[in-house]
Amino acid sequence: MQEIERFRKRARVQHWWIAAWAMILGLTGLFLFLSWFGPAAEGGTSRLVHRIAAVCFVAGPVVYFLMNPRTSWEWLKEAFTWNKDDIGWLQAAPIYYFGGPEDAMPPQDRSNTGQKLWMVVVIITGVIFVITGFFMWFLKGNISAEVYQVMLLFHDIAFIAAGAMFLVHVALAVFHPRMSEALRSMWGGKSSTHYAKTHHGKWYNRISAGESE
Amino acid sequence: MAKAILYDATKCTACRACQVACKNWNEREAVDTINRGTYENPLDLSTQTWLKMEFREIGDNGTFRWLFTRRACMHCTDAGCVKVCPTGALYHHDEGFVAYDKAKCSGCGYCVEFCPYSVPRMDTNRASGLGRMDKCTFCAAPGLDRIDAGDEPACVKTCPTGALTFGARATLLAAAKARVEDLKAQGHSDAQVYGENEVSGLHVLYLLDDSPETYGLVVNPKVPAAAAAHDVIKPLGYAVAGVVALGLLLNIMVARARIISREEEKK
Repeated sequence: MQEIERFRKRARVQHWWIAAWAMILGLTGLFLFLSWFGPAAEGGTSRLVHRIAAVCFVAGPVVYFLMNPRTSWEWLKEAFTWNKDDIGWLQAAPIYYFGGPEDAMPPQDRSNTGQKLWMVVVIITGVIFVITGFFMWFLKGNISAEVYQVMLLFHDIAFIAAGAMFLVHVALAVFHPRMSEALRSMWGGKSSTHYAKTHHGKWYNRISAGESE
Repeated sequence: MAKAILYDATKCTACRACQVACKNWNEREAVDTINRGTYENPLDLSTQTWLKMEFREIGDNGTFRWLFTRRACMHCTDAGCVKVCPTGALYHHDEGFVAYDKAKCSGCGYCVEFCPYSVPRMDTNRASGLGRMDKCTFCAAPGLDRIDAGDEPACVKTCPTGALTFGARATLLAAAKARVEDLKAQGHSDAQVYGENEVSGLHVLYLLDDSPETYGLVVNPKVPAAAAAHDVIKPLGYAVAGVVALGLLLNIMVARARIISREEEKK
């Protein structure tokens, strides 16, 4: 079977680093957010873990950016560059993901529209989490109660948005029959040439033509 | 049957025996005090001081009045702290007041930010975030529960002038209203009860012979609107998680079945 490299090692390390801390943050945050999980927050250990995880979570992208500024910009550009094929993807996706025919799906780049949407959600909610979290951690007592209340509210709203998209991301990457090689390529870096052709045609054509990613 | 404490400001001499009794019963430490030219000490509520008397000197038209106000948890019916407490450490006692089980506190400090009376206190470590909240427990804290034992709160027990009384809220309210009429008859035209309807009714009632502003009480206290938003977004959180999870399960099952059947057709 022919293989093609889709994610370089540093990108994969970055992905799993963020993923691990984000899941710890989500879980420990859930303890304070939904009362079903409230008893797990008793004593405050989960809040300490939340803070340690927050520092690691922020450190990941910062270190990545300092070490690979150009690649970082490329990733950002990729996430926020949308064109008519993305509109086409959004229209065709419901049929495609419920196992319908593949013909209506426009060719996709290295990341498909759904994956880009996830990147955008991660970046935007990530920024909201960091700003509101910074206020609640370091400025508690120095800001008015009203400002704190708004920060908490936006932290919660960002959590609902990011949490919902996280469920979609994991379900598709791990369990969806159409995304059979997404997890494999993020873990080992490679996917089969056939998968790259059928799922990321635009990117595959560029790579085969010897162009840059 | 809701219970309450009635504080009659017109009977209070500000001896502060209640402050001492509160510390004594609840095992709070003494706080170093400073002479600032007033008997009022310590300066503010703290994790060690759950109840303090405020002293106000009012001079108008050549007359001088010395007003005293009891400052501690007001035990709201519509309590912002209870609404936002994630662990259930803060809860409504069967008798209506806001009880507190410190063992369950996570130290999140949301109660501090959602209290319309700025009562909860914490000595939180800024970096780690560890530390637990303290406030008046209505002497119903686990292990130090006077109410369950059929006794009155320590502050009421010790009050030498009868300024503090404990009992059924409705009874105290009726008594307070009767005394308002007495005071008005004696010429105190501004006599009034504070706490009957504030935040849906306090479980600490105040009998005043002047306006609440003059006594330094919060006029028209409100549970922050953001607390009501919590009532919306928490169920929203459950709903979104449920709908998304169910939708994904359905999606993957359908997709699998259709793709497998198509592959079998090819064969």
